[in-house]
Amino acid sequence: MDGHTNGTASAVAVSKLVKRYGDMVALDYFDLDVRQGEIFGLLGPNGSGKTTAINCMLALLTFDEGTVRVFGERITPTSYALKRRIGIVPQNVAVFNELTVEENIDYFCSLYVPDKEKRHALVKEALDFVGLADYRKYRPAKLSGGLLRRLNIACGIAHRPDLIFFDEPTVAVDPQSRNAILEGIQRLNRKGATVIYTSHYMEEVEQICDRILIMDHGRHLALGTADELKAMIDTGERISIETDDLGGHADAADATLERLRALPFVIGADYDGHELTVNCRRGDHNLIDVLQLLERDGTNIGHLSSRQPTLNDVFLELTGTALRD
Amino acid sequence: MWQTFLVNLKLHLREKTQLFWLFAFPIILATMFNGMFGNIAESFELHTLDVVVVEDTAWKASYGAQTLIDGLSSDSSASDTGGFAKVDSDGGSKLVNATKVDSTAQAKRLLADGTVQGMLQVVDGRLKLSVSQSTQSSASDVMASSSGLNISLTVLGNIVDLYNRNTDVVTEIAKNNPTALMDSAVTGSIGSTNGYTKEIQLTNFKPSGTARYYYALLGMAALMAMSFAINAVTMTQANLSALGIRRSVSPLPKLRQLLAGFLSSWLCSFLSLTVAMLYIRFGCRISLGGREWAAVGACLVASFAASAFGTLLGALPKIPTGAKHGLCTALACILSLFSGLYGQFAMQLSDQIAQQAPVLSLINPAQQITNLFYDILYYDNFKPFFTTAGILAAMSLVCLAVATVLLRRQRYEYL
Repeated sequence: MDGHTNGTASAVAVSKLVKRYGDMVALDYFDLDVRQGEIFGLLGPNGSGKTTAINCMLALLTFDEGTVRVFGERITPTSYALKRRIGIVPQNVAVFNELTVEENIDYFCSLYVPDKEKRHALVKEALDFVGLADYRKYRPAKLSGGLLRRLNIACGIAHRPDLIFFDEPTVAVDPQSRNAILEGIQRLNRKGATVIYTSHYMEEVEQICDRILIMDHGRHLALGTADELKAMIDTGERISIETDDLGGHADAADATLERLRALPFVIGADYDGHELTVNCRRGDHNLIDVLQLLERDGTNIGHLSSRQPTLNDVFLELTGTALRD
Repeated sequence: MWQTFLVNLKLHLREKTQLFWLFAFPIILATMFNGMFGNIAESFELHTLDVVVVEDTAWKASYGAQTLIDGLSSDSSASDTGGFAKVDSDGGSKLVNATKVDSTAQAKRLLADGTVQGMLQVVDGRLKLSVSQSTQSSASDVMASSSGLNISLTVLGNIVDLYNRNTDVVTEIAKNNPTALMDSAVTGSIGSTNGYTKEIQLTNFKPSGTARYYYALLGMAALMAMSFAINAVTMTQANLSALGIRRSVSPLPKLRQLLAGFLSSWLCSFLSLTVAMLYIRFGCRISLGGREWAAVGACLVASFAASAFGTLLGALPKIPTGAKHGLCTALACILSLFSGLYGQFAMQLSDQIAQQAPVLSLINPAQQITNLFYDILYYDNFKPFFTTAGILAAMSLVCLAVATVLLRRQRYEYL
C-alpha cells in the first residue's frame, strides 16, 4: 500500500456534523479527525451513530450541517479521484454468490483499476493477503463464515486503497479467523494504509487501534489511546477474592462489607457468599489496604486476583449499562 | 463499464432460478400449448379410411362407382376433397384404401371383425356407404374424434351423396331430354360445386387460430424478463443492497453502472425471448409468415421494453427486492390475461378490451408485445408493426425517464 504516512496530516476530518432523521438526531455536532497512517477505532453502542457517521464520510448519506473532508478535500458522490483512494469492508458480506472468489475480487477491483494486467497482479496479491489463494475457484456459498469475511475484506482492499473503512469485520467468526483478520489489518496499516475500524469487541480495538473515539447519541464522548481513555475514568483496579467466611463468620459479612465501602478509594463492594468484589478508584496500594482490612476482620482468603480497568470498563462508564436496541 | 457489463451478464446467466423461469419456462409452456393445439389441428385433418367394396353384378353395372373409387383410392384424391387439409402421412394422400370382395356377406364379415371401417356397395343403382358400429362409436367419441375420423367419414358420405345426386340428374336428363347430354355446357355443369363466393386471402399469411396464443406467450415471457433489469438496478443502489453500497463508493460513475446493467439485461432478455421465439417457430411450427428476421427485430424491441419496465420496477424505493420480483411475476401473469394467454375466454376478453377500451389495450405492454408478433404474421406491410414498436418504444422511454428521476440520487436520506 502506498499511502502517505507522515502521521500528522489528516486522512478524514469531520467537523460539527449534524444528521437528523425527522425529529431524531443521529449525529449531533460530531467531530472526528483521523490522521494519515493510523488505525483509528470508532466505538459506540448500537444506534450511537457510528454507521451513520461512516456513511456520511463516504458521501452516501446527506447531512444537515457540518463538513467532511477526506485527504483535505470535501467529499461528494462525484469525487471519483478521492473515491479511488478509499476502500470499504462493510459489516454485511457484500459479494456476488454467482461469481467465484477470484471473479468477485477482480470485479470489485475493476471498479477502481480498469487495466486488466495491473488488476491481475492486484487480485493475486489480495488473494494471498487474505489466504484465499486455494479457494480462488470457489463460489461464496462453499466458504465458511471466516473465509467469507476474508473474501469481503479482499474485495475492499484489492485496489490498494490509502484509506480503508472496516465496519465490524470480525462479526461471527472464530478466534483463528479473527486473529488472521486483525493481523491483516495491522499489515495493511504497516504498508501505509489509514484504517478506520468499528467493532463491538473492545479487546480487538484495544489490540490494534492507535487511537479510539467513543461516541454515543451521535456525540463525541472521548478520544485518545487506550491508556489515555482508561485514565479518563474514575474506576481503578478491580479486586476479586474467593472467600466463604467474609468477616470470619456469617453474621459479620455485612459489617465487613460496610467497612470496605467506607474506605476512601472504594467505589463499591459486593459479596455473593463465595466471592468478594471490590471496585477501586485510581491510585496505588488499594490491594494492600483491602487485604489488611479483611485480615483484621478474620476473613480467610482463597484465590485472589486484581486487574486494571479495561476498555470495556471505560466504554460502560462512558455510555452507561442500559441495554440498547 | 465493460467489466461491469460482463459481470452483470455472468450474474444473469448463472442464476439458476432465473434461467429456469426465463429460458426453460416459456419453452415448457409452448410445448404444452403445442400438445393442446396440435390435437385440435389434427382433428381437422383427413385420414385414409379402410373400406370394403362389394364388387357384385350391381357394382359392375355401375361404371361411375368404380371410377369414383379409383379416384378416391388414388394418391391425389385428398386434394380434390373440398379444400380440407391433406390426408395424414400414415395414409398418404388418398381418402380410401379399398379392399374388393365378391359378396355382401364377405364384406360384412370384414366390417364386423374391424378389418375395415366402411362398406361401399351399389344397391338399386345407388351407391351406399355403411359403417360398422365400432367405427360409428369412434367417430362420435370426443377423444377419438381428434384423429379426424369423423371428418373423413363426413367427407366420404358427402362424396357418396353427391355421386348419387349426379347419377339421378343424368338419369333424369337421359330419360326426359337425351339430346341435352350432347351439350357440353349441360354435362359440364353436372356435379359442379361452383358457388357464388370465392375464397381469397386478405392477409399476408393464412390466419392461424392458435398462433395468437403463442404470441401472447411471448408477451408474457418478455414481461418475466423484467427481472433481469430489476436485479441489475438493485445491485447498483446503496439504499437497496449491501452490494449497492460497495458499488456506490467506487469511482465508477453511477450512470455507467446503470447503463452496463441495462445493456446486460437487454441482451439477456433478448436471448431469452429469441430462444422462445425460435422454439415456437421451429419446434412448434408456428408460422411467422416467412418473416423470421422481423420476429428477431420484434424480440429486440420487446426485450428493450421489458428492460425499461424492469428498470422502473427496480428503481421503486422502499420495496424489498423479493417483493419487486413478486410484482414482476404478478404483472406478467395479470397483463397476460388481458392479452389472451389463458385460452379462448381470455382471447375474447382481449379482443373486447381492444374494441371497447382501446386505451387499456394500448397501455398493456403484454398486449403490445403480442401485437408486435401478430402484426408480422397478418399484415401485408410493416406499418402496423412499426406502429406497435413505436408504442412500445414510447412506453419504454417514459419508464426510463421516471426511473432516471428515481435513480438520479447519489446521496440518500436513509440507508
